[in-house]
Amino acid sequence: MIGFIRLVVMGFVALTVVYVCLSFYSRAVRRSKLRKKWYDGKQLVDRDTFVQRGLERYDGSIRRKLILGVYVVPMVVVAVIIYLTNFA
Amino acid sequence: MLTVIRWVFGITFWVLVGAVFHYTLPQVDIVRVTDTYEKRQDIGENAWFWAQADIGTDGTLANRDVFFIQTRRAKGDVMVYRNEDTGWSWPPYFKFDTSNLQAEAADARSTADAPQYYAVKHYGWRNEFFTIFPNAISLRPVEGPDASKGIPYLNIFILALFGAVVYGIWVRWRRFRMARIDPTLEAIEDDFAEKSSAVTRWLGTWRKK
Repeated sequence: MIGFIRLVVMGFVALTVVYVCLSFYSRAVRRSKLRKKWYDGKQLVDRDTFVQRGLERYDGSIRRKLILGVYVVPMVVVAVIIYLTNFA
Repeated sequence: MLTVIRWVFGITFWVLVGAVFHYTLPQVDIVRVTDTYEKRQDIGENAWFWAQADIGTDGTLANRDVFFIQTRRAKGDVMVYRNEDTGWSWPPYFKFDTSNLQAEAADARSTADAPQYYAVKHYGWRNEFFTIFPNAISLRPVEGPDASKGIPYLNIFILALFGAVVYGIWVRWRRFRMARIDPTLEAIEDDFAEKSSAVTRWLGTWRKK
């Protein structure tokens, strides 16, 4: 049981680092894309408002929730390995 | 001199990385199981190469019984495998079915007269000087001693992934060095060259004309 708890805690910490880095990175990429879009577009609103609105839409998007896969994928992999090693 | 140090360091590092992969990644042997046994192990300085007590049991005791599987490999030599839970720790095989595997191995025994061959998936090394054994992961019957071991897709995938990560880091580091470190070093060198030529010129003024 101690081994399991250790794995879960350490895995959670490591994956959280990955998750945080990835979400910041993804948001920064989205921000720069929005700026580019604003430059190329008609520029009806000022740039900050445009980017802000775009980011708010991004915050609610599925694409952002996909980053949660950082947690889900390793858990699925571990479950599959456990099945294959012990029960297949 | 610096080049030599760099090479020694680099070779040592990559040999260690290679050793870790060679120890940890699964390999397959075609064997004939000759017997199974269990033996008390007083694990000492070779503890690195042993797993822990079965999951759920008291892992703090100094010694414990370990299952072993004795085999003769298709290529003729003998090989003894230990059979231990890897549990929730490294390497990540998540093996909990040690006793079941031992039952399978006991059932798989055959003699040289009527041989039955099995493919043993395992990781680890056999080394007589440290008394360490590869850990058997699974057992499946095969037709004969020449049976195919199968293509190691998992190993190919993991090594390719590792290679890609290393390549990615290397490319970024090289780009960073070319953009930031090399110009600085060159500037220092140029500066130094200028200064030393100034010194030479100054010395020249003292020479006889």
